[in-house]
Amino acid sequence: MSDTAAAHEAPTSTGIDHKKLIMWLFLASDCMFFGTLISTHLLYRKLFPAGFTDAEGHQRFIQDLFSIELTSFSTFILLMSSFLMALAVSAMHKGQVKSFRRNVLGVIVFGLIFLGCQVFEFTHFYHKGLTIQNSVLGSTFYVLTGTHGTHVAIGVLWLILLYFYSFTGKLGGHMGALDVEVAGLYWHFVDIVWIIIFTAVYLVEYLGPYGIWGSGLPAVVK
Amino acid sequence: MSHDSHHAPVACKTELAPERSDLGLYRPDRATGWTDWLTTVDHKKIGILYGAFAMLYFLIGGVEALAIRTQLARPDNDFVTARMYNQLFTMHGTTMIFLGVMPLSAAFFNFLVPLQVGARDVAFPRLNAFSLWTFVFGAFVLNASWLFEFGHLAGWFDSFAWHKALVYTDFAPANGWFSYAPLSGTFGANGQALRFTGVGTDFWIIGIQVLGIASLAASFNFICTIINMRAKGMTMMRLPVFTWMALVTSVLIILAFPAITVALIELMFDRAFGANFFNPSAGGQPVLWQHLFWIFGHPEVYILVLPAMGIVSEVLPTFSGKSLFGYPIIVFSGAVIGFLGFAVWSHHMFTTGLGPVPTAAFSLLTMAIAVPTGVKIFNWLGTIWGGRIRFTPPMVLALGFIWMFMCGGFSGVMHSSAPADSQQQDSYFVIAHFHYVLLGGVLLGLMAGLYFWFPKIFGRMPNAPVAYLGSALVILGFNLAFGPMHYLGLAGQPRRTHTYHAGNGWETWNYVATIGAYILGIGVVIVFGNLVWTAFRGKKCGSDPWDGRTLEWSLPSPVPEYNFAQAPVVATRDAFFEHKHGAKKIGLENDGGEAGVHMPSQSWMPMVASAGFLFIGFGMPMMAMGIPHAGWLVISGLGVLFLGIWLWALEGPGGYMLKTPAPSGAPAPAETVAH
Repeated sequence: MSDTAAAHEAPTSTGIDHKKLIMWLFLASDCMFFGTLISTHLLYRKLFPAGFTDAEGHQRFIQDLFSIELTSFSTFILLMSSFLMALAVSAMHKGQVKSFRRNVLGVIVFGLIFLGCQVFEFTHFYHKGLTIQNSVLGSTFYVLTGTHGTHVAIGVLWLILLYFYSFTGKLGGHMGALDVEVAGLYWHFVDIVWIIIFTAVYLVEYLGPYGIWGSGLPAVVK
Repeated sequence: MSHDSHHAPVACKTELAPERSDLGLYRPDRATGWTDWLTTVDHKKIGILYGAFAMLYFLIGGVEALAIRTQLARPDNDFVTARMYNQLFTMHGTTMIFLGVMPLSAAFFNFLVPLQVGARDVAFPRLNAFSLWTFVFGAFVLNASWLFEFGHLAGWFDSFAWHKALVYTDFAPANGWFSYAPLSGTFGANGQALRFTGVGTDFWIIGIQVLGIASLAASFNFICTIINMRAKGMTMMRLPVFTWMALVTSVLIILAFPAITVALIELMFDRAFGANFFNPSAGGQPVLWQHLFWIFGHPEVYILVLPAMGIVSEVLPTFSGKSLFGYPIIVFSGAVIGFLGFAVWSHHMFTTGLGPVPTAAFSLLTMAIAVPTGVKIFNWLGTIWGGRIRFTPPMVLALGFIWMFMCGGFSGVMHSSAPADSQQQDSYFVIAHFHYVLLGGVLLGLMAGLYFWFPKIFGRMPNAPVAYLGSALVILGFNLAFGPMHYLGLAGQPRRTHTYHAGNGWETWNYVATIGAYILGIGVVIVFGNLVWTAFRGKKCGSDPWDGRTLEWSLPSPVPEYNFAQAPVVATRDAFFEHKHGAKKIGLENDGGEAGVHMPSQSWMPMVASAGFLFIGFGMPMMAMGIPHAGWLVISGLGVLFLGIWLWALEGPGGYMLKTPAPSGAPAPAETVAH
């Protein structure tokens, strides 16, 4: 809520807490942010469906690169972290700080697993020849998924700080629950964005034998 | 939370005993002088600081404009070099838009929105301070590029090895305020990242990025304040029109700025890390930059003009002695302008070859957006029609706004026709059009606002004869400078060209335009100088010198730091005017005003956090320039930013109690009004 303690008791005009409202506004803005990044990636996929050329001059296809099993796993992990986040928020609303800590620790670990998968993925793709510098695909892919990864990393950092803050005993009551809920809103949003990225950047490449952009190799050739 | 440690109420904050924050540090609550201004969370002081910086940058942008006009006064002139000219017009546009008009609008939002909705501050006072200092540091980074340019011209850098590696040496931005790729971007395969332009572009990228963060943070705050902190009885359709326009503008900012944020990130990756977003050698599409820029850039036009429309909608009713004609339609038109503003961006790109269907669609939508704008003009005319008009300085400027903005609107409708626009593209006709909108419209509107609310801000009246003189010179000089440019543009003079040859028939009107620009410059100095004089030496005035209509006029001038001693309860639109002249429409909420007013604690942390942007702002361009270890400056900047935000969270909101001196801060009789 606001910086003024008087406002703690004073009801807001809408009945929505200031902190919650401002997080919703930020998320609205962030929608446009990711919308622009995803559009950039999709526009370039449509323009250059052929993938990229690696350092040896070989034409490479995006399906050669992706490990859909790994990405599906990390997507699942991120989804489950959202589930734990919901439990953490609920625990805080009930004033169960210990349950909150357990669940939020789970979110942090799952978030770190997701980030680890992304680091592995980036390294793997880099060694397969996709760099930020050698193609438009590399630029859009790394910047889009990297920006999302940055969001996750900020979320993890935030939750780690909340986790340790809960030991000071100051995270409690309505304000404490609100602080956790606002962090939860952010976390769920970042999760939802990943569902969209996973669909638009990864899954559609596997639609039909040639991918949605009509570029991929038929499964048999692979 | 630390709220159990409140001190006994005192009437003045300097009497407070120092209070420790949750961190154990003393809060600067008792501070006076510099410390007070640097740590303030008071929306009124933040508004004044925004206004002061905006006026400073208006003057800097004005000097750049006069240098441009001096260069163009005569054909084949060599007052400045072509290289310098590019930097001048780029920084002129960037400065006026991002460092002049937007912060001046933000100054009004800050000062007025809480007063007009009947609140004691914005929803997040420390975030508000963060917006201010982020703007200040972003503006400093952007303009510091001039210092590098002057250093380069003086030969200070010649002995550095890295300097010789720079092929292009413009240190201040030189791409135009839109920084079109590929000129602003890179070329060459495999991450060579060869550039067309110098480090000025990197300063521009990071400067605009930081200013965007400031605008976004401020807008979240204002939307929250307007939606959530309205006084009892202040329904949305009782909000003053200025506050409505602040709301629409803030919504536009939070939805439009992400597009430029992403575009800037992409361009930064191109230049600093060899990415290929806009690199034609690797298949990057420069036209994507145009799309992303204008998806932000066109709403930006309405971000600039809607606050001025809001101001005029307050000034005209006050000095016509009538309520605003068609309030719901004015509000609705403002919202429609904001909505349609997102659907017309490609009219900046008719000559890029979009194809007949998009071109026709964007033409149509551009013509459509003229309708709500025209509706507003007719409503303003309806407001002054039959009114008892008082020609005070703000009224003169507001009437000037209607005329000049209307002229700019007419040439704007001409641009909406794609075939005509193809002829006018990149000519002086476009310069004439948007200066009529942004200078004749926005600046006159903002000046009207300054003269209107200065008595409220400082409790002193501006000198009226000097104000009339300044306004007359501004309007005269402005028309002399930009009127002829309609003709020059249709006669073929191209924009962004540092000179022109004799014999094209452009000499006379260019000379006239330059004379006009100097008259305009003198007028602006008089208008602003009068205001500065007013702030310190003007004749003291009462709380309601103009017979105002909205809640801020019910408060003493200058406004006490707690704004409302007791929260008002309003029963109608224009409640204060009705309250004065008719039935009593303002009541007082019994919220224990006798116990004192709770004030938010002051803090250093917002400024510490935004100081991180100073490191990032200098580190990024140096990194892109190839200066070794400059990346550590960026990383330390991120560290400072994080540290500031972390300590900010840990110190807690704090707060102290002020005793209010009787109910003097409240409108006369303390009675509850049914509504």
